[in-house]
Amino acid sequence: MRCMALAAAAIGLVGCAGNGDGLDENGRPIQGGPPPLTATFDSIQQNVFTPICTQCHIGAGAPLGLRLDEASSYAMLVNTPSVEVASLLRVKPGNPDASYLIQKLQGTAAVGSRMPLNNPPLPQATIDVIRQWITDGAQGPSATSGMASPAMRGVSPAADDILAAAPQEVLVQATTELDTTRLSTDNISLIRSGLDGSFEEGNEVIMKPLRIEVRSMQPTVVALMLPKNQWVPDSYQLTIAGAGPAPVTDMTGRAINGGNGTTGDDFVMHFEIGGTL
Amino acid sequence: MRGRIGWALVCLMLSGTVFAEPYFAVQQGVKCVTCHVNPTGGGMRNAFGDTWARTILPAHTIDTGGGEEWSGNLNRFVALGANLRASGSYVDTPHQQSQSAFDVDEARLYLELTAIENRLSVYLDQRVAPGGSNNLEAYGRYWSADHSWYIKAGQMYLPYGLRLEDDSAFTRTVPGINMTTPDRGVEAGLETTHWSAQFAVTNGTASGSENDQGKQYSARAEYVLSAWRAGASYSFNDAAAGQRQLAGVFTGVRTGPIAWLAEGDYVTDDGFPEGERKQLVGLLEANWLISQGNNLKLTAEYLDPDNDVDEDEQTRYSAVWEYTPMQFLQLRLGLRVYDGIPQNDLQNRKQAFVQMNAFF
Repeated sequence: MRCMALAAAAIGLVGCAGNGDGLDENGRPIQGGPPPLTATFDSIQQNVFTPICTQCHIGAGAPLGLRLDEASSYAMLVNTPSVEVASLLRVKPGNPDASYLIQKLQGTAAVGSRMPLNNPPLPQATIDVIRQWITDGAQGPSATSGMASPAMRGVSPAADDILAAAPQEVLVQATTELDTTRLSTDNISLIRSGLDGSFEEGNEVIMKPLRIEVRSMQPTVVALMLPKNQWVPDSYQLTIAGAGPAPVTDMTGRAINGGNGTTGDDFVMHFEIGGTL
Repeated sequence: MRGRIGWALVCLMLSGTVFAEPYFAVQQGVKCVTCHVNPTGGGMRNAFGDTWARTILPAHTIDTGGGEEWSGNLNRFVALGANLRASGSYVDTPHQQSQSAFDVDEARLYLELTAIENRLSVYLDQRVAPGGSNNLEAYGRYWSADHSWYIKAGQMYLPYGLRLEDDSAFTRTVPGINMTTPDRGVEAGLETTHWSAQFAVTNGTASGSENDQGKQYSARAEYVLSAWRAGASYSFNDAAAGQRQLAGVFTGVRTGPIAWLAEGDYVTDDGFPEGERKQLVGLLEANWLISQGNNLKLTAEYLDPDNDVDEDEQTRYSAVWEYTPMQFLQLRLGLRVYDGIPQNDLQNRKQAFVQMNAFF
């Protein structure tokens, strides 16, 4: 018994919890704090995905490659097929019951455990808010740069990624809603270097047939797909035109800025398959 | 704050009076491979492990009338095993309605097919409930003639730290290496009288398909004596989404009826949106063998989710009574108290549970 008392005392020395001074609900330094939970993506991100889901679904070790940090979650969820049950979309706008995210949260998914794993299930009221967001069309994050022209970002692969194998698709996200009627192979191109790692030698190969699929509108997420046998180990360059005769624009007609803030610049992103160049 | 963390770590790592589950191995003074098919522990038990669970572990043994006893081996070439955990739990979270539920935590089936006795086999660990079936481990393993080394390839749990049964422990969730996140690759292991060491090269995608050029390299080494053991682990995941590095030390000590386990891990990950984040986790656990078949487990855990942010630390204290009334059946009655920042209700919940674990 004396041994156990000693054990209890020793265990008590492990440490104390923080008092939370200067932190928000997610344990991050206060920068305004998260909004109350409402049926919007921003609110769900800050109240659910960030504090709960990113305990595991973040960074290099994210289970099944599903990253739910603020920069990745929307593009990786909405209209994107699930890895565990490929016939289901993770989030199917307008249909929460057919959304794999909801099935995982409610514990009704055909594969694997209920999420969040090793934590109590989300309160039904929280799940209902997420269901409502999906029912409402799974709108994306609110625009943070109303005056700026739209910019593009590679989600998967990200810029300068080196991939071991061919990607299922190339996923790019805009900062706002684009005029998707303008998206075509006239202003979106994917080329590979011709095995020399350079895009100035004249031996580049245009990748085709390139299929362009709009995954969501606000913000616009676009998936680019090729037949599997078209992918070969090489360096790739994705270009989305902000200049030229058919630039990609937002709904007000402003051309994309290419990432440097200058309206009317092309968005150019590189990635590599094989890592030998 | 750093002083307190340092003190906690010193307590965790150095003090002989600080103790932590693989506690069966610590109580018995043996290595994981003594009882498990997998040299790094967990999963299917071998014939010795099943015999120990039938004869030494339970408070009482149901007499099967002299008939053949279960050892897992159907014959020299085929072995089976199973594990079922079902529980009832009550969770009290501040400012939320309390939740109570019965659950099947998991049901697993194990199969080992041996092509060359003691040398070459194929092992499968299939989770069949809840939900649909999904594979957790599937690998082929080759043992040297003297069983001093092995190599396995396929999908496997990564070697890292103490392979606790409780995958919700901070030392299992924060490093992200646990029995829900196997990975695909190759592992080589060394087993000598006192040493147990492993090195694995895997995709680093937690069993998802490979999506980048980088790989995950994991290593674990443990020195085992009858009364104590100590070891260290390291893992580096070179992933496009961000590099992640884990480093940890762990120990196990037996003092009379108490088996102690301790582990401390330092995690750096530059895949967070704000850049690199450094995390610190620790576990200290005492297992008091009150009498045969009765074990009281007290656990204290510490988590600093961001070393650069003050006052965000979390702790978790658990008390679990484990009663093994008969062979191959354990009942667990437990209480866990989470303590975190007051702004986050989930970090301050309390959980009570009763669990049935049938295993053979």
